[in-house]
Amino acid sequence: MYKVIHHQTKTSLSGITRFRRFFSGHYTTENLRMLTSAMDKKFIPKITVFHCINAFSQTSWSSVDGSEFEIKFIKLPCSSMVKDVFLLRAFEAGADAVVVLVCPEGQCRYVEGNIRAKKRVAWVQNLLDDIGIDGRRLSLSNIAAGDTAEATQIIDDAVKNMAELGPNPAA
Amino acid sequence: MSMNAQSRLQEILSKGEFAVTAECGPPRGATPEVVRKKGELLKGYVDAVNVTDNQTAIVRMSSIAACAHLLQMGLEPVMQMVTRDRNRIALQSDIMGAYSLGIKNILCLSGDHQSFGSQPDALNVFDIDSMNLIRTVQTMRDQGKDMSGFELNGPPRMFIGAAANPFADPFEYRVIRLAKKIDAGADFIQTQCIYNMDRFKEWMKMAREEGLTEKVHILGGVTPLKSAGMAKFMNNKVAGMDVPEPLIKRMAGVPKEKAIEEGINICLETIAQLRDIEGIHGVHIMAIEWEEIVGQIVESAGLTPRP
Amino acid sequence: MIVAEQKPLSEIKEIIAPYKKILILGCGTCVKTCFAGGEDEVAVLASALRLACKKDGKEIEIEKLTIERQCEDEFIRESAPAVSRSEGVLSLACGAGVQALARRFAKTPVLPGVNTTFIGVMESQGIFTEECSGCGNCRLDIFGGICPVTRCAKKLLNGPCGGSQNGKCEINPDTDCAWQLIIDRLKALGQMDNLRKYIPPKNWRTSLSGGPRKLVREDHII
Repeated sequence: MYKVIHHQTKTSLSGITRFRRFFSGHYTTENLRMLTSAMDKKFIPKITVFHCINAFSQTSWSSVDGSEFEIKFIKLPCSSMVKDVFLLRAFEAGADAVVVLVCPEGQCRYVEGNIRAKKRVAWVQNLLDDIGIDGRRLSLSNIAAGDTAEATQIIDDAVKNMAELGPNPAA
Repeated sequence: MSMNAQSRLQEILSKGEFAVTAECGPPRGATPEVVRKKGELLKGYVDAVNVTDNQTAIVRMSSIAACAHLLQMGLEPVMQMVTRDRNRIALQSDIMGAYSLGIKNILCLSGDHQSFGSQPDALNVFDIDSMNLIRTVQTMRDQGKDMSGFELNGPPRMFIGAAANPFADPFEYRVIRLAKKIDAGADFIQTQCIYNMDRFKEWMKMAREEGLTEKVHILGGVTPLKSAGMAKFMNNKVAGMDVPEPLIKRMAGVPKEKAIEEGINICLETIAQLRDIEGIHGVHIMAIEWEEIVGQIVESAGLTPRP
Repeated sequence: MIVAEQKPLSEIKEIIAPYKKILILGCGTCVKTCFAGGEDEVAVLASALRLACKKDGKEIEIEKLTIERQCEDEFIRESAPAVSRSEGVLSLACGAGVQALARRFAKTPVLPGVNTTFIGVMESQGIFTEECSGCGNCRLDIFGGICPVTRCAKKLLNGPCGGSQNGKCEINPDTDCAWQLIIDRLKALGQMDNLRKYIPPKNWRTSLSGGPRKLVREDHII
């Protein structure tokens, strides 16, 4: 189930300020339209993170810049277990973005697991474009084992992208 | 080599004269004037004119028709025939039709693949290959029988030509292939255009060693270059073409206004060298879409008047 | 094996457009090996179509099933209940399989989900090459085990042509010249004499050119 993460500050923020923090990009007409619709429904992006347990093992989460999002972690013994159908099912389950975290190339415990994951992610990104829900919602990043700061940054970047891409149109 | 072919080209070659042939590409349309104009440019400078058959798989007026137009002007055509577009039924039919019109020379080719041409979606044929076609014409001529063994009402007494490419790979096999074409029935050979004279001389040496130059008339192919760009294009983009770097540099080394002159000079040098090679019985000038230059080249090479 | 490639999603969407309830039927033999229509590919396609339809606001109900082979009625029968529940069957089998389904399920539209291409081999994981065109008259013994009918773009029996360069075919720099391969192999086998032999025109009657073929084995029919 999704966990809801809230900004960890004591200052109470007005709704507008919260949104300004959240959508930190420049405002295009497209963004504004999504902002207004999001404002009506308060778009809280749902992120699913597939990760290899060797690359990443944290289960609690705090956002760096106060953005709000729901996050779900799916542990895999090796990132090569990321099958195409799991990635698609994550989007069917309502994810707005899917992040895949794998070990750095050359450091996969199972030798080429992370390469297989990379190839599959690329395939599914194209498929998502064909489906029409934008392959940029899916991303893969290599992180050194235990590098929480990097992982945090990656996830926050994914959330920021949601400002531009908006909610999953097939959710 | 053959019996009673009655072709003028065959006569000249049998007499030991240095033959000159050129090429004429039919128009992409039904206008015969285009063919006649090209014929006028070549008349008096060549012994026979090759008429291409949907060359590079681009749809053009048929070779047999364009040959017929040239015949009417008093020129002797060499009908090129590729196996890409027609099956054995159509090929044999056209061989007989061509001879009945007065066409006495045929060049048997496989043909460029249709993916290069104007209609790449087309289904190709390749029912038989160029080797089979050579043998077929020989059988029709010498035995008076078609491929099914049927005795023909009037055998086509064609002078049979084939192509050879000393610049394609694999090099060591090219002479074996030449021998095979001669065995199949080739009377004369026209080679791919020559820029790498060293490689060509090597190939001719191997051909002589196999005794092939005694059995077939070889005409060396030449194409005058117009620019360094053309030289580069031919080397990089045209399959089976070898244009050595020094030659490209030579073309690039002259100012643009002088490029054509340089190209013609190179062509004349090549012809001069060909005349000195033992086993070479003529030159085949392929000035594609530049027929007007042929006369100048033949004259400057000292090959006029034609016998 | 028969090699096929799944049709683009946009084309599949168009093909299934008239139907609200479809069965995606996979095949566990050839198309599974070339990653076009096995059980995994069925699952991915079902998920992708659901997402695409959801996005377009279109209703779709998808059932999935994969059988051993779609070219034998013994296995096709197993899909009968699922087929009867659907308005149309999207088959991911090769063209033969799609037609075999159509023979049995005369009242349910059978739709092709892959483009069947060739008879070939898996050269290495993920790479498949065309090897045989079913000419019905195999002479691989003369050609050192390399088929000029299939692998030479001009079907030359007395090749190579003048376009062979650096061992590659004139039509594509990534395509090996079959005749270069034949020559190399005959050289290695000490059978270069084969190259001097004139090979006569091929009898195409045994190929598709002679009409669609049928094989009847009386000794196996009771």
